[in-house]
Amino acid sequence: MLREFVEMNHYLFAREAKDWEEAILMSCKSLEADGTVGSNYGQDIVECVRKYGPYIVIMPNVAMPHSQEGAVGVNKTAIGFMKLEKPVSFDPEDPEKDARLFFTLASCNPEQHLNNMMRLSEMLMNEELVTELLEAKGPDDLLKLQEKYLDGKNE
Amino acid sequence: MLNILVCCANGAGTSLMMKMTTEKVIKSLGLKVGKLHHCSLSEGKSAASQFDVVFCPLNFISMFKDAEKKGTTVIGLKNVMSQAEMEEKLKESGVPLD
Repeated sequence: MLREFVEMNHYLFAREAKDWEEAILMSCKSLEADGTVGSNYGQDIVECVRKYGPYIVIMPNVAMPHSQEGAVGVNKTAIGFMKLEKPVSFDPEDPEKDARLFFTLASCNPEQHLNNMMRLSEMLMNEELVTELLEAKGPDDLLKLQEKYLDGKNE
Repeated sequence: MLNILVCCANGAGTSLMMKMTTEKVIKSLGLKVGKLHHCSLSEGKSAASQFDVVFCPLNFISMFKDAEKKGTTVIGLKNVMSQAEMEEKLKESGVPLD
């Protein structure tokens, strides 16, 4: 999965975002660049989070921006990766809702999406991998982590 | 035999992740499970009372008050990827697990 981010150019390493809204819009950029999602998608996700709260921060440090399956303006099924050097806050009262790693979901094919989600879930349950991912500086580090943890596991 | 519902806002992202965490917990505790269904809040609100247990992100538990009155155990999760948190809260909830 990490190699896919690099090969598809679905990644962004950035220093910081001024707030969570900007972080979500930034996390969609790599998916917008090749038409995986339309330019409306980021704003749609922002609206979802305003409506329902920061449930997209699924574990400490990790956000998974998404709206819904078959969302308008989603043309392909993929995950976009973003890493911020400086954590962005989703809930000023809960530091466990700060995020630095973003996995932005785009889904229009349920089967392919489920497969992506299974691989993402396996990856995020590997604490060592997540710890090292938090230190990643660029695409080369993603490839190194892919080789170290995921190759040979069909992930 | 437990029937479990996992629920998040849209039913395609967070709830799927919770479903995978739930599958790990089922395996590790050796639970006997009938249905394991994932869905959106809008579907989940009406369907919840037909399940024994509902898992959702912590900020959504208030949506399931009606189901709770009818006897469904509603468990809010802080970290939906944490097998440990889910196991602990499931054991604490007092739901019969065998």
